[in-house]
Amino acid sequence: MQIRDYLLRRLALLPVIMLGVSVIVFTLTRFTGSPVGIYASPNMSPDEIAALEARYLLDQPIPFQYAAWIGGLFRGDLGWSGVSVAPVTEVIGLKFAATLELAIAAGLIAVFVGVALGTLAGVRRNKAPDHVARLFSILGASTPTFWFGLLLLVPFYLWLDWFPLGRSTPDIFSSIIHPTGMYTLDAIIALSPVAFFDALRHLVLPAVVLAFGAMAIIVRMMRSSMVEAMSEEYVDAARAKGLPNKIVIRRHARRNALLPTTTVIGLSFGFLLQGAVAVELIFRWPGLGQWVTSAVLAGDQATIMAYVLITALIFMTVNLAVDIAYAYLDRRVVLGG
Amino acid sequence: MKMQTIKRKHSSAHSRPRIVASIAGLASLTLVLAACTAASSPEGSSNSDGSSSTEIRNAGVIVHAQNGEPASLDPARTEQGEKGEAFIDNVYERLVDVGPSGPDLIPSLATEIPTLENGLVSEDRLTYTFPLREGVVFHDGTDFTAEDVLYSWERVITMNLPEGQAGALVDSVDSMRVVDDFTFEVTIQEPDASFLYSVVLNTVASIVSPESVEANGGIQADTPSEWMDTNMVGTGPYVFGEWKRGESLTMIVFENYWGEPAKVDVRWDITPEESSRVLALRAGDADIIDISPSNVGDVSDVEGVTIFEGGLLLEPIHLGFNMKSDNLPSSDTIPMDFFADKRIRQAFSYAFDYDTYINSFLDGYGARYTAYIPQGVFGYDENAPIYEYDLDMAAELMKQTPYWETGFTVSVLVQAGEPEFEGVALLMKDGVEKMNPNFRVNVVSQAETQFDENLGADPVPYALWVKNADPGADPHQFFDPHQHPDGDWGTKHGMRDAYEDPDKIAELIDAGKATVDPDKRLAIYAELQQLLYEDPMWVYAAQEGLAYPYRSWLGDFNINPLWRGPHYEYYTKG
Repeated sequence: MQIRDYLLRRLALLPVIMLGVSVIVFTLTRFTGSPVGIYASPNMSPDEIAALEARYLLDQPIPFQYAAWIGGLFRGDLGWSGVSVAPVTEVIGLKFAATLELAIAAGLIAVFVGVALGTLAGVRRNKAPDHVARLFSILGASTPTFWFGLLLLVPFYLWLDWFPLGRSTPDIFSSIIHPTGMYTLDAIIALSPVAFFDALRHLVLPAVVLAFGAMAIIVRMMRSSMVEAMSEEYVDAARAKGLPNKIVIRRHARRNALLPTTTVIGLSFGFLLQGAVAVELIFRWPGLGQWVTSAVLAGDQATIMAYVLITALIFMTVNLAVDIAYAYLDRRVVLGG
Repeated sequence: MKMQTIKRKHSSAHSRPRIVASIAGLASLTLVLAACTAASSPEGSSNSDGSSSTEIRNAGVIVHAQNGEPASLDPARTEQGEKGEAFIDNVYERLVDVGPSGPDLIPSLATEIPTLENGLVSEDRLTYTFPLREGVVFHDGTDFTAEDVLYSWERVITMNLPEGQAGALVDSVDSMRVVDDFTFEVTIQEPDASFLYSVVLNTVASIVSPESVEANGGIQADTPSEWMDTNMVGTGPYVFGEWKRGESLTMIVFENYWGEPAKVDVRWDITPEESSRVLALRAGDADIIDISPSNVGDVSDVEGVTIFEGGLLLEPIHLGFNMKSDNLPSSDTIPMDFFADKRIRQAFSYAFDYDTYINSFLDGYGARYTAYIPQGVFGYDENAPIYEYDLDMAAELMKQTPYWETGFTVSVLVQAGEPEFEGVALLMKDGVEKMNPNFRVNVVSQAETQFDENLGADPVPYALWVKNADPGADPHQFFDPHQHPDGDWGTKHGMRDAYEDPDKIAELIDAGKATVDPDKRLAIYAELQQLLYEDPMWVYAAQEGLAYPYRSWLGDFNINPLWRGPHYEYYTKG
């Protein structure tokens, strides 16, 4: 099957799956209590609670409430975010852009460093670089993101003042417009080096912290597939025909070793989004993670439901992208076959 | 699986390493440049030991690292004790205010505080007349008159939002009238000595610009205003700047302010994580931070940081006895009316280790209060009796009940993630269980929404729970909801059946409200504090101390416990 047909079929399925997800999300969220909780306080009388419920249609039957919510969804209305004091749709784009910028930066670091370290470790198996890489990956997998973030902040923020907290310096932020909400990209569009370096300065530390955990998995996966690839006959064949070691590793061994790693990279994107919750809290990064944390604590169901829907959509898209990447890396893979 | 022909593009395979190398090179260059810009950034002051930077950061703006964000900026909608109140205090004004020190009211948009003596309170104590300030302008440029007071208060009454504090106006105001452009008159439903503090000083009585409200959706009954939730047009020393959700809120000095203008702009940096707030303060990026009392020690020895110890918060922490619940947790073995026995309530009051609570859980930033007046509020009697930790006394009282032999299990409900509240529950458990091995206290921690839902239920499904009171400035604000047999908690907890003499208590509390003569009021409250000590309805744990760490380069830093947060207009920087 052609990639195009496969893509179309997967894309056509997307709304159906999303509808299923929406039912589950709506039902499960309701189990956690009434959505009116965010406005209710212990001092309110039952009459006052009833007035609040009537305002948000919560006195209607549940199927009606679901219909009202899903109807809004189709009109592009995801409800009112109590924690942000704004319509969900107005905020979610900004939050998503913030988290995406962080996750992409972290993902790039994790993939580049992870693949390089993993390759090195696999080639120099049981030698010093291998030990270092393995130590590194154990540390990455076992260090709590939260703690690691604080650990880096002390030298790089408090002592050296290289990388600050937050997302931007207010004066610099307001000096350019932000069409995408990803500040590095906005700065490039505005051709402002000052804004670009300011955005980057704020991005580096949280991205490194977030990347650290994901990197660990990639290093381990890359190392083991590299070890396996290096013992394959085609590598011996390549060497036998006199190819330089560099080319053998790059063009023959690594390309094949990358296949299983790609799956892990795809999955680790989910890890990046989850890890973003802790990183965003520590680094004062106003993204989805910070947003949903306050929503959960406050019982802001409109925000929670929107977040879960978005996350589901991201995972489906990433899975699709991984499948396509597979086909690119290994032409024997036939999509939808 | 179908095989497909693979066309290798040799050229791209050769160039890829070069691309990777270029990207890596560019990335490293960028990093170096990014780090270098740190030294030359407009606010940057890099130094090697970091923690004690002497150069003032963020000159011209006071940065307050906040632990949360407002739920609304509309005075008609903010809940008591909520972040929005602190912001509103700086942008909107009320007719009266309190200054940097002391509990006394000072004029604000009114030029005089109404009293019986100056004739601005009528003889029947029902009508209050406010002479208003002339020459005041709103942030939108319109002039302030008595019509605006009427508009602002009527707006709150019409909207009547249950999540806000509209009740303060709705339940007390009988009628309002514009006498002339600069005279406003209000008649209340019954004499109330706490009216100025509990209503006129309340956030909900803030004066908003009618022109701006009308231009942006106007007033709709029983409906919140989206525009006013996120925009502010008042007369205060600060103009509302910008709200970047989850990131920051700003206020700008209002140049046309009628009084002495504020000196420095203000920015709230939303920083939910306490460790990050502490780091920001140490680095000098934050000038003031929110901090829980138990962590104040972390910053007390930092050079360039001062700890403001400004008295006590007027929202005492208490443990409630519920005597009306018929659906307690299944593990509880106590009968519904267990705490209706005064001796048991007294025993629990003796079994709580007050000193350990204040010294450990509040890090020393706290103090005791009486039943039920916090220190700093009119009527507080320092000679009134209070319970001390005494397990022998507690055991003696319990021995007079059948439970000494049979034992019991009771659960105490507390909000998770609030060490100040959890500490009360844990120390209560500790004391009671030490008294007799057959006594068991289970501490049940719940997330805020569940906790609120349980506490909002009637009857509350727990016999014991811990929280703090809503802040108040007048003793009646504490007695009425917490001790009156027919008050909010009185009815919910079933106090009428538990008090030895409920009518006497009710009578005294009502008299305290209706009496204006301070000496007579003092006598009433002294009697109440004695009676309620003997017949306690709460374990009066402690008042939390106000501890604000701030950068020493801020001048004139001060916080009145009656304020809902800092009033930045008084502060200087550098």
